[in-house]
Order: sequence, then C-alpha cells, then structure tokens
Amino acid sequence: MIHYIKLADRISAWFGKAFAWTILVMTFGMAYEVFVRYLLNAPTSWSLDVSFIMYGTLFMMGGAYTLSRGGHVRGDFLYRLWQPRTQAKVELVLYFLFFFPGVLALIFSGWKYASRSWRYLEVSVNSPAGVPIFQLKTIIVAAGILLLIQGIAQVMRCLLCMRTNEWMRAADDIEETEVMLMEKGAHDVLDHASEAIDIVKPLDTNPTGGRSDKRS
Amino acid sequence: MSDPQIALFMLGIFIIIIFLGFPIAFTLMAMGIIFGYYAYFDPSRMWRAYNRAVEGGADSWTQVELWVDGFFNNNIFDLFINQTFSVMTNEVLTAVPLFLFMGYVVERANIVARLFTTLNVAARRIPGSMAVAALITCTLFATATGIVGAVVTLMGLLALPAMLNARYDSSFASGIICAGGTLGILIPPSIMLIVYAASSGVSIVQLYAGALLPGLLLSGLYLVYVIGRAILQPSVAPKPTAEEVPDIPMGKLIVLLLTSFFPLAFLILAVLGAILFGLATPTEAASIGALGGLVLAVAYRALTWDRLRESVYLTVRTTAMVCWLFVGSWTFSSVFSYLGGEQVINEFVTGLDITPLQFLLLAQLIIFLLGWPLEWSEIIIIFVPIFLPLLPHFGIDPLFFGILVALNLQTSFLTPPMAMSAYYLKGIAPPHVQLVQIFKGCFPFLILVFIAMIVLYVQPQIVFWLPGLIYG
Repeated sequence: MIHYIKLADRISAWFGKAFAWTILVMTFGMAYEVFVRYLLNAPTSWSLDVSFIMYGTLFMMGGAYTLSRGGHVRGDFLYRLWQPRTQAKVELVLYFLFFFPGVLALIFSGWKYASRSWRYLEVSVNSPAGVPIFQLKTIIVAAGILLLIQGIAQVMRCLLCMRTNEWMRAADDIEETEVMLMEKGAHDVLDHASEAIDIVKPLDTNPTGGRSDKRS
Repeated sequence: MSDPQIALFMLGIFIIIIFLGFPIAFTLMAMGIIFGYYAYFDPSRMWRAYNRAVEGGADSWTQVELWVDGFFNNNIFDLFINQTFSVMTNEVLTAVPLFLFMGYVVERANIVARLFTTLNVAARRIPGSMAVAALITCTLFATATGIVGAVVTLMGLLALPAMLNARYDSSFASGIICAGGTLGILIPPSIMLIVYAASSGVSIVQLYAGALLPGLLLSGLYLVYVIGRAILQPSVAPKPTAEEVPDIPMGKLIVLLLTSFFPLAFLILAVLGAILFGLATPTEAASIGALGGLVLAVAYRALTWDRLRESVYLTVRTTAMVCWLFVGSWTFSSVFSYLGGEQVINEFVTGLDITPLQFLLLAQLIIFLLGWPLEWSEIIIIFVPIFLPLLPHFGIDPLFFGILVALNLQTSFLTPPMAMSAYYLKGIAPPHVQLVQIFKGCFPFLILVFIAMIVLYVQPQIVFWLPGLIYG
C-alpha cells in the first residue's frame, strides 16, 4: 500500500511538473506575439491558440499533482479540528461518493469526445493557421487517468491513516523545506490554503542592521 | 420531489459536504454528474438501440453491450465534457497562470527587503514611519505578486521584527501586515478580478479599470488610519531612534528608491497600462509582466535554477486549484439551473419585495459571512454566481457588484475562524505575538473596509469614472 502511494505520488508529480513548464512556453509565446505585433507589425496567427493549449494542458495535468500535495481547496474549518483518524474515515466515504463518479465520467466521456476529434484530426476554428486541438481533447482523458491513479492512492492514505492515526505526507517536495520555516503549529493550517504557500527567506541581511537583541 | 426541490436538495447536500471538508472541486464535479444523470435521465432515448436489439432478437452479448452503451448515453456526460473543455479554452482564465507565475517570480526576486529598507528611510519623518513603510511595501508588493500568503509571511519575517524592535505595539504592527498583504487580491492586476470576470462575464478590462480607484481608496484609508493613530496615540508607534533607522543622504536615498521602489512600480504600471489602454489583452500583458519579473529577478541576481523551478511548480499547483474549481462549478451550476434551482431562488428573492439597497446589503452580508469559513476562490466561483442573475432585477451593475464583492472579500482573510492572513502571520511571528493580538490589530482594518464599501455606494462614480473615461 505504501509502495503504491509513493508510486502514485511520483507519477502525479512527474506529469504535473513536466507540464508545468508550459508556463514558460506561454510566457515567451505571448510576449513574442506582442513584440512582433508592435515592433514588426506582423501579428502571429497561432499565439491565441497556443495560449489556450498551454493553459489547458497546464492545469489539467496539474490536477493530480495538486491532489497528491493536498492543494485542492476545501472548507476545512471543522475538518482540521478532528483527529486524523476521523478525518480519514469521513474522507474515505466521500472519496467513493464524490470523487470517483466525477473522475470516471471524465475518463469515459472524455474518451468519446477525444476519439471523435481524432477521427478528423480537428483543428482550432480561432484562426486560419489550423492549429490542431485534438491532442488538447485527449488531455482530458489523460488528466482523468492521473486523477484516478492518485485518487486510489488517496483512498489508501485514508485506510493507512485509520490504522496509524497519522497522515502519510507526500515525499519531500520542493516546497516542503520552505514550509519548514513556518512553525509546526501553523503548518497544518496552511496545508489547505487557497494558494500553494511557500516562504523564501530574504537573502539580504536584516535591514534593521542585524540587531539580534529582540525585545520581548 | 419536483425538479426544483431536487435542485435545492442538491445545494443543501453540497453545503454539508463543504462543511465536512472534502476537496470542493471534485465534490462539485461528482454532484453535477450524479444529479445531472437524474436530470437528463431519459430511458426511451438512452436505450433506444438496446430496445430495438431486444425486439430484433439479437444475441445476449450484443444486448449487454448495447445496454451498457445506453447507460452512458446520458446527455450529462456531453454537458460535463463540454463544460470542462470550455474551462480549458476560456479566454479570460488563460491569464491566471501567467499572473501567478509573475507573482511567484517577483516574490523570489529579493525585492521585498530592499523595498522595505528604502521606504523605511524615506518615510522616517512621517509619524508612524515604519508602519507607513510597511503598509506601502505590503501594498506594492502585494499588487505585484497577488499572492497574499507570501506577502504576509515575507513581511512578517522582515517588517514585524523590525517594528517590534522599534517598540511598536504588536497588535498595531500585525494588523498592518495582515491588511496590507491582503490588498493584493483587490488592486489590479489581481487574480481575483480575473476569476470574477470568468464567472460573471463582465469584461476583465472594465473590472481592472473599475477596481483601480477603489483599491487606492482603501489603501489610502489604511494609510490615513495608520498615520492618524500614530499621531493620536504615539505609544503604539514610537519614533524610531537614529540607530534603528539610519539617516541616509538624499543622493543615496534616491539611488535606493530608483533601484527598489521604481522598478516594481514601473512593472505594475506597465502591465496595467497595457491592459487599460487596450495595447494588449490581459493574457498578453500578464506574459509581459512575467517576463518583466524574470528580468527583475536577473537584475537583482536572484534568478537561480531552483527558484525558477519553484515558481513553475507552484504556478501549476495554484492554477490547478483555481481552474478545477471552475470545471466542477460550471458543471454543477448548469445542472442546478437545468433542474430549475436558479429560478426558484430568483422567484423567492424577487417575491421578497425588497429594495435594491436591501438586496445589496443582504448579498454583501451573506458574502461577508461566507468569508468567515471559506476563502475567496470558493466564494467567487461557487456562491457569487447565485447572486448574479438577480442583479438585473434590482438594476445593479455587475461591474459595481463585483468591485463591492472584491472589497468585501478583503475581510475573508481577516475574520476567524479561517483568517488566512492572521494564520500566515502567526506561523512566522515571534511566539509572544498571540493570535488574539493579531485579530485585535486586524479589527480596525475591517471597519475601514466597510467604510470604503459605504463610500462606494454613496459615490459609485469612484468605480465608473475610470472605465467611463477610457471606454466612453
């Protein structure tokens, strides 16, 4: 079970992070468009479609990664007061009722939708450039499968937590060391915040002149 | 049960599930599918091929296959995928990851310490100088990054110890950081307004133009309060000694300002200007902003491989959080209105016989109360759309309503039990700063938010003047 959770975390993180880099394509692609439009007076015909495709791929493929790191927003003002064991029991039931139906629908109907698009190699209607979008529709299926894999891992997390009364955290991620800056007490509060929280210590020296005699 | 009753039942269950703390995006998706399956259930259409096969005496394997086909032949699945794909190709939401990326890059550009130190020196003759410097740093930094948690924690690590060292009252000091850091979701270019634009259909450019003056109004009110309090009650913000804030010659100060304050201000103005004057779409402007952030980070020698990676990975997580919420919400709400839930609410509210002012007060009160347990993303994506169809009936402009909501949601970061700003600050503050003190410090700022909302209601021109000026 632990092995599977670790494997699923790794798969989700790998795909999420790999597709995260599309943000750079987006940044440079759109900036290039502005550049050629104003300076060379020659707007591109593909930049709008490229921005959709990059953005759609980015967030869809990031869904499972976000789930594995507990990043999806939840109204947890009661939840966080409970014992981990209680949290796990409630969550276990809710995963079956309110997670898998949606994700399975995503895979099956996404499959139908994408295969229809593949049949005639659909291109975008936004511009005459003929940017293909059938691959973007396939992303729906891929994102659904990743979520399914990760969802099964989350169910196992619940089962594990019911036994040990302790949540198994995802393997150390890039942010974990930064969150370490926060005190342990606040850590749990921040886990389900609306933003991926992270703290970087300013590299500059203390601006007040490095005084260490804190007044208490 | 009739269909509208089912719809209300669906909303009720949804609220219960929120209280249980399950990830909201998936709850919305699954409930949309389950209730949608019921709503679009049409056996004669779904199993037409199966029925024909049975009559035609097909073999049992074909029958099973056709029955399964029929089972999935419900229109909800098409609706669901169409909604998902429309989130994936939404023109407004494409700006979200870019603005987030810009925020994460700027946040890592080592700029905040420089900015605070400089402003601290520049403001030293003003009463409550450190508080003023902290507030302005928070406002500017929050505007550029739009990431509340980062601003509050970074400033909490930087400005809070400095202010405490200078014998500032700890409530007063923490209130400034919490309230100032939260401004980032209001002052354009902010993510929250993009999200509102995507759920309401109001043009994002108009929203940015409309939110600019109210945002400045609110930060101005904060500033007046901070200076006023420092004058009336000097003990909360004593004048710092020469040792705490060194006197720097004018020439050097100007150089410091040129290298810290102005680049950031210029970046914000460039992005905002490009959007407001129609030179670039918000998405394009955001990409310029992200590029500018990268340049800034290079200039401050802060762009390392690790930091770039962090920014990229954090961008994908926060974008996924926001956009999956949209996937769920759009599916849920189309099923909800198909079942007639929207109409029931519509009829109920219009039947109440209330004036537009009463409606506005009621709506804002509900949003304020929702802000106690929930965060802005859930409120804007899920709950605000319930009010939107009612606006025409009361003759309220959705642009104006959106700005009021944006102001109102400032409070959601400052009110317990889920006062994220206060928790972020508590997480990094010295242990003797208690949560109660932080809340006490936030309280005056809550009042100022309400004052700003009242001012806007009395003087709606503050919202409409700039959009009117630009677009006639």
